[in-house]
Amino acid sequence: MNLDHFGMDTITLAGPLEAKLRAVRAAGFTQIMLSAQDIVGHPGGEAAAIAAVQKSGLRVTGFQVLRDFEGLDGHLHAYKVDVAKAMLEMCRALRSRILLVCSSASAHATGDTGRLVKDLQKLAMLAVPLDIRIAYEALSWGRHVHEYTQAWDIVQSAGRENLGLALDSFHMLANRTPLDTLQEIEPKKIFIVQLSDFLWQEVRSPEDRIETARHSRVFPGEGVHSEKVIELARQLDEMGYRGDYSFEVFNDDYRQLPLPVVAERARRSVKWITGRVARRSLPARRQA
Amino acid sequence: MSTKENLPQASNPLGIDGLEFVEYATSQPQAFGALLQKLGFAAVARHRSREVMLYRQGAMNLIVNAHEAAESAPTLSAFALRVRDAAYAHHHALELGAWEMPTRASAMELNIPGIHGVADTLIYFVDRYRDFSIYDVDFVPLAATDPRPPAIAGLHWFGVVQSILGDRTADWLDFYQNLFGFSVLPRGQYFGVLPKGTLLESPCHKFYLQLVEPPPGAEDVRWDEGLVRVGLGAADVPAAVKALQARGMVFVDRGTVQPSEKGALTQPYLGGVTFELVHSHLKP
Repeated sequence: MNLDHFGMDTITLAGPLEAKLRAVRAAGFTQIMLSAQDIVGHPGGEAAAIAAVQKSGLRVTGFQVLRDFEGLDGHLHAYKVDVAKAMLEMCRALRSRILLVCSSASAHATGDTGRLVKDLQKLAMLAVPLDIRIAYEALSWGRHVHEYTQAWDIVQSAGRENLGLALDSFHMLANRTPLDTLQEIEPKKIFIVQLSDFLWQEVRSPEDRIETARHSRVFPGEGVHSEKVIELARQLDEMGYRGDYSFEVFNDDYRQLPLPVVAERARRSVKWITGRVARRSLPARRQA
Repeated sequence: MSTKENLPQASNPLGIDGLEFVEYATSQPQAFGALLQKLGFAAVARHRSREVMLYRQGAMNLIVNAHEAAESAPTLSAFALRVRDAAYAHHHALELGAWEMPTRASAMELNIPGIHGVADTLIYFVDRYRDFSIYDVDFVPLAATDPRPPAIAGLHWFGVVQSILGDRTADWLDFYQNLFGFSVLPRGQYFGVLPKGTLLESPCHKFYLQLVEPPPGAEDVRWDEGLVRVGLGAADVPAAVKALQARGMVFVDRGTVQPSEKGALTQPYLGGVTFELVHSHLKP
């Protein structure tokens, strides 16, 4: 496990896309997670944003985020399919192999598992010709799917090669989800792991979780749950997960600090994690 | 009680019944047409308004589309599946997550529904292939031409070869299995002289798709996803090779792909187009 396995996320940084790309690159990172806003909000338009990403030399960890996709009916479903297609096309143009999809928080969404499975199968099918993998993430305030274990059940039922999981430490910590069932997940079905911590012990209500998740996350090593983040990373490493780790750190303070200062904090966090997790070169412990 | 209704079976939800046509795009339709004639195809009809020709040989229809074609090398740009109900098949595929094809891409003025296949290719659905043909509307038959030229040595569609990127076999299996009901043939069961990749059989058992990932050591080779070539089935490959050689076709005769009982591969023509003959148990 080294710096090459970690990426920053543009949502952590303030300023224009080019400045973010430069800061991340200057801190020694080789990859970056992009948001749709980076692309559509670029003053030069989408093409300029895509060109800037390609010129940066950074690998695109993934593209985010498709929200409230699954479980809708009729015109709502059709509307979301259109949104998904546009997101997939941007994802492809950015040469991102991963589209991040959050479990639905919509009050209009059904919790019928069969329907959720079917909708995610459809999304995965849309992604096949574009060579994109769908990483499904359980939001801790998701309406029906809010634990990674539920997301895993759905991914398993769907049984599609390009549909897997995004694990986000924040949601697991916020919901106090035990990590013991992590071992049941096939490592190759974990497409991306997002790491962050936060500064308070408990976030009890969904409102608290949303508020904290969107404004007050910090890098691992900076919060009060960091040992749990390490435990997660260590378990994943031992299971044989060899994919990317991305810092999903939404933080209002970081968005008013100079970019190199924030990127340096991210780099320090990588060092903090890798110093505590077994080296990747060691063989993975076999699971019974 | 017996019924004559042609109801699709569970394993063939769309009632797929073979390939209706394959389509090539090229900006040199004359040269390609000459090549097709060597291969036993005859031009039988011309599109009413576009630079599109229909070639035929036995039960095989082949469309050469020069309308807005960008590339000079003929490229396999579409194949059409015969289905029980084209509108249903189209709707079913879209419901499962297929991409609607761009409306202007079709060679036909008839509204033949279709979806995106690999890369820029299309997959059409055709249900009028028995009493009434889709070509009756869009094409004008060529005068003094046999509209049903017989096949050389019983040639018939055998399948389509698709190149895919590394580690993409499972993705494309999901695509063809879930959208159309194709099934994977056991490893080691191959036809022809190019035994590689993964072979899929259509739910109607009338044609095959071969998915080919880049071979090991091909990291430096430019390898894109796309439709590579068609395979023509022949009960007697050496006889078919001989007949086609007599018409001027040249087959690769070196290395592992030299003509045999199993199959044969033509040399690349016109910037890269090739055709494969495959020993076939399928009926023409």
